[in-house]
Amino acid sequence: MRRGLIAWSKAEIPESVFDARLARLRAAMAAEKLDALVVYTNNTRTAGVSWLTAFVPYWAEGLLVVPLSGDPLLTMAFSNRIVGWGKDVSHVARFEGGARPGIAAGKYLADCGAKHVGVVEFDSLRAAVVEDMAGNAGGAVLADATALFENIRTKPDSAEIALITKAGIIGQRALSLATGTETMIGEALAAVDHESRLLGAEEVYMAAAPDLDRDPRFRRMEGTVETGRSFALRATLAYKGHWVRVTRTYFRDKADEALADRAAARFAAAVAGLPSADGFKDFRSWNVEACRVTQPLDPMMGSQIDEPRALAPGSIANAQALITIDGRTIALAAPILVGREAFPSGFLVAPVFGRR
Amino acid sequence: MLAQERRNRLREAMAQTGIEALIVYGNSWQSDYLRYVADFSSLEGHGLAIITPDGSIELFLDSAAEAERAEIETTDIKVKLAPEIARAVSSRLDRIANHRIAAAPLGFMPKFLADATRGYKLEDGTSFVDRFLMVKMPEEIDAIRQAAKWADEGYEVFKKAAVPGRMQFELIADIEGFFRSRGCPDNFMIMGSGGKDVFAMAPPSERRLVAGDMVTTELTPNCRGYFAQICRTMVLGKASDLQKKAHAVYREAMEAGIATIRPGVTAGQVAKAENDIFRKYGLGEYATSKYTRVRGHGLGLFVDTKPHILEDVDTVLEAGMTMIIHPNTYHPDTGYMVLGDTVVVTETGAEVLCGTPRELFEV
Repeated sequence: MRRGLIAWSKAEIPESVFDARLARLRAAMAAEKLDALVVYTNNTRTAGVSWLTAFVPYWAEGLLVVPLSGDPLLTMAFSNRIVGWGKDVSHVARFEGGARPGIAAGKYLADCGAKHVGVVEFDSLRAAVVEDMAGNAGGAVLADATALFENIRTKPDSAEIALITKAGIIGQRALSLATGTETMIGEALAAVDHESRLLGAEEVYMAAAPDLDRDPRFRRMEGTVETGRSFALRATLAYKGHWVRVTRTYFRDKADEALADRAAARFAAAVAGLPSADGFKDFRSWNVEACRVTQPLDPMMGSQIDEPRALAPGSIANAQALITIDGRTIALAAPILVGREAFPSGFLVAPVFGRR
Repeated sequence: MLAQERRNRLREAMAQTGIEALIVYGNSWQSDYLRYVADFSSLEGHGLAIITPDGSIELFLDSAAEAERAEIETTDIKVKLAPEIARAVSSRLDRIANHRIAAAPLGFMPKFLADATRGYKLEDGTSFVDRFLMVKMPEEIDAIRQAAKWADEGYEVFKKAAVPGRMQFELIADIEGFFRSRGCPDNFMIMGSGGKDVFAMAPPSERRLVAGDMVTTELTPNCRGYFAQICRTMVLGKASDLQKKAHAVYREAMEAGIATIRPGVTAGQVAKAENDIFRKYGLGEYATSKYTRVRGHGLGLFVDTKPHILEDVDTVLEAGMTMIIHPNTYHPDTGYMVLGDTVVVTETGAEVLCGTPRELFEV
């Protein structure tokens, strides 16, 4: 579910940023001789359409049609009564509501005279949407254009870096509302969830490892659960369509916080070595996620991943790790910027420890 | 254990109908089919699960965080992290290509998986699962009962949070903090504030509440995967006579809808009972799709499930179905107004699970 602030801040992402992204996309489309490109969005796969228009779905799915020239169309599966809201929170020339976005997108492709159409993540698009679109597109040839889009999407501009950083700061500030002295995990979760949303998060998925000594894996908490002598909270948080995963470990005994400082130093060293994963090899578990196409945090490499994907130099990613020191497990996660040329990889927002 | 009972129901039905494998899909918005089969509600990425008549379940997830979470939140399920999820599941189905395989919801399957040129054939298993999603077992109703209790408590928090000067999204922060403190993992809500200019509820914005606003919301907290909903309207200050008169129509309509519910009647008859009240007061236009979406809907493992309460829906109600009855719509004198309670269909009628008074609140 989604239940946070949905807003487009022109101060944070001016129209010119979206216009520049659209121009880059169209240049790539022209090079590939595409007449139009289609990007899908829903609650889960937000990061393509939000990157091009600021629009983040609250519940419905939709399709963005970008003709090589002419107005882009965003068609969402909701009532026309909601279209006014959609227009208020997005930057797109045409915004429509309707029961079946596939049909609307197909008709628009036909109206535009598009013959060769690229579809982002074509294979994973839901089958009924593809059927609707293909059946109304006037015979246009639809083909996968994921690689084209990924090549552009993974080169962040300053606005994206700033908003990821802000999301990380919101997450860290919210995580600082828990102290480690909570006896029930719900108290800590409530404080962090509340603060995240007050600070403008459009969503925060809270997970916890309520007793790190017993099990360091994160789960969504339900009911009442007691905390152990150390626990960890993970906030997977979005701000204006920009997602981060931040984690903090809490200790009942303040003396244990030195462990976290040591873990943080090892984590920072491992992150600095990215895109090489060598620095993570001794960790209990780890992974690096990044937005490649439309999923905000796609798995890229890690201890669970058999076939790692390459991190693009200069791209935004998110690293997390479980590190064991003196028999104690510490959980960490933070957004990072992958190094390029002479600049090493580093945190956009560094993980922090210690009580408020 | 509820998850095991659901699995047993499915297994028995699969054996009776000859379905040899059932594949279900879920994502962060709609996870009901996935949760029913795999007892896992997705938050990020796609989830696909396959259950076979021996009760074995494989759960494929394309998010690393979700795969880790599923490992700890589920039992007796094989969890697989599959970044290329459609291809991974397709490879799995290739191994049982000669089996009778049903998919639910079929239209939600990724194109690659549903491609007719694959070696296996997917038949539509949506209605096969829908029956289980709609008619609940007693333990499922218990979870909805608890969620409805949280909805009542949440509305009290919402009333206190709704103070002139605060922005809409700040109210959501208070609600979510409250639900997390109660161990409630999830909630869906939309809201509206203002007057005759408000035609619908929408996601929370930065609009500041002002004295005299009519504030609408629906809260939909979740207990063990099951959602209950409440819809209420309040006025920041004293309600006008017009607002009170309008609210009385909604109350009469909702109560007419609830009074109609019993096994054997259709969802359409319930909707008609609600809409007839609007028509009686010359407000029939506002019971049409121009101003409103549905007059209620099913509740369960999804916030907006079948049956939809609309006059053209012929789903026959059965004991054990759970739903909200909400004649929410625009009123020309006051703006958009909401009122709704979660109910469970009993052998003789309907049991209302929400306890919040059906008032137009003045705060």
